[in-house]
Amino acid sequence: MKQFSLSNGKVITKPTSKIWLVLSIVSALVLGFILMLTLVSNMIITISFSNLGSLITRMFTYPNPLNPNLSFTVAEKWSRYFSYSKELIGPLFETLSMSLAGTVIGSVLAFPVAIFAAKNVFKTKYIYIPTRFLMNIIRTIPAIVLAIVAVQIFGGGPISGAISGTVAVSIFTFGIMAKMFYEVIETVDMGPFEALESSGASKMVAFKTAILPQVLPLFLSYLIYIFELNVRASTVLGYVGAGGIGTILFASLEEQRYEKIGMALIILFVVILVLQTISNRIRSKLQ
Amino acid sequence: MIKFINVSKTYPNGVQALKQVNLEINDGEFVAIIGLSGAGKSTLLRSINRMHKITEGELLVNGVDVSGLTGTKLRLLRRNIGMIFQSFNLVKRMSVYNNVLAGRVAYHPTFPTLLGIFPKEDKLIALEAIDTMGILDKAFTRADQLSGGQQQRVALARALAQKPSVILADEPVASLDPITTVQVMNDFLRINKKFGITVIANMHHVDLALKYASRIIGIKDGNVVYDGPSSGIDDDMLITIYGRALNADEILGEPDEEPGDLNEAV
Repeated sequence: MKQFSLSNGKVITKPTSKIWLVLSIVSALVLGFILMLTLVSNMIITISFSNLGSLITRMFTYPNPLNPNLSFTVAEKWSRYFSYSKELIGPLFETLSMSLAGTVIGSVLAFPVAIFAAKNVFKTKYIYIPTRFLMNIIRTIPAIVLAIVAVQIFGGGPISGAISGTVAVSIFTFGIMAKMFYEVIETVDMGPFEALESSGASKMVAFKTAILPQVLPLFLSYLIYIFELNVRASTVLGYVGAGGIGTILFASLEEQRYEKIGMALIILFVVILVLQTISNRIRSKLQ
Repeated sequence: MIKFINVSKTYPNGVQALKQVNLEINDGEFVAIIGLSGAGKSTLLRSINRMHKITEGELLVNGVDVSGLTGTKLRLLRRNIGMIFQSFNLVKRMSVYNNVLAGRVAYHPTFPTLLGIFPKEDKLIALEAIDTMGILDKAFTRADQLSGGQQQRVALARALAQKPSVILADEPVASLDPITTVQVMNDFLRINKKFGITVIANMHHVDLALKYASRIIGIKDGNVVYDGPSSGIDDDMLITIYGRALNADEILGEPDEEPGDLNEAV
């Protein structure tokens, strides 16, 4: 509590802000968590570090340290190392198309659902509460589980694997985007919507004319961001047979060909970095 | 003609905003509704185009009881009534032209409107409405680039594009400075005289209401306590309406510009 005395003798008390209480609780929790983590991992921490070191060495050297008999000149090493990239281009392209298709399909499906979930458009709770419930259920399922289910339905071969992956990414995207979309819709200025309704427009037309122009830039911005997210997320879907670069990644892991994994990681790093840069550029233009 | 017959409105939380209101507003009138905040001015105004639903009584607009209207019939009623808001309620990211064109949507089926397709005559109606408000040179500017007074003119143009017979204005000048206020009120007067459109406005500034409106409706706690010409309002009547003498902020004061000469304006 802080008191201010004005020159005319009046005294006013500023109530204590609760932010410090919140901050101290949060920092206590974080501290406790770190402490716990340290205690639990105390025994294994040395072992895992040495493993990590050897893994990194194996990933970024050629030849495979498991076959030390093979020897190459430096030039040969690098050319062989990068020749893997040829094998990776196809799966990488598959991952990108899976993510793109999934993002677009999921977002297009999420859009109308988000309208029904927005409290300010449909004011009756009988519409928005069931819609949100459905969305919440979909959002609880991890992408990898969606992929496992999709592979069971559509199969995990070269083409059907990609289809399964697309389905998994679509549902995953749908869950996130529907929530993001309706939250955006709820922040808009409802004045123009009211004006349109008062001029005799139906709800749908009023939404299109008054709300869509307000939310479209943010929607596109989220769409691009989620695509970027999906490229990263869908790399692991190959583990369960859902196509893309993940398939190569996990096949190489089983063969203990760590240098292949290393190459895949380098390519992914470059691709995602490029995507992020483009996405940031476009999104800043949209604001 | 707009006719209130024993109209009452009770909100779900129990607040009675209108109590047995009886009114008759003829075509072409310029009516100002005055009263304290929360007296029921806004409710009265918004029940005319059924943005608020009355709970008792009958409200006739051109002989049609609005309280039972739904769907297409409700939209046809609203199409005939323009509405102006304190905060303009324009789509800020859209051009002036597109905002005004939005006033035409109720004339067309849903599907073409969703695609943004309007016939040529509608585009001309929109542009002419913008020209009427004297901002044709701003037609393709984004709405948020305009000043407050200009934005309210865009809103007026949008209402005009509806080709309405009534314009409802809910505190149309409350967020404008005194000079702009007078300009916008002159616009209302001009529309009222030139097109014979009935104007019903909630007004915060009493002197402004007296200056522009030919008829004043005073509301207190949901009851109509005054209904008559602006000349009939004196200090005693204001105390009846407001329950006290006026505050300084309820009087606009005397801006330099006088209300427009009607002959010149028309």
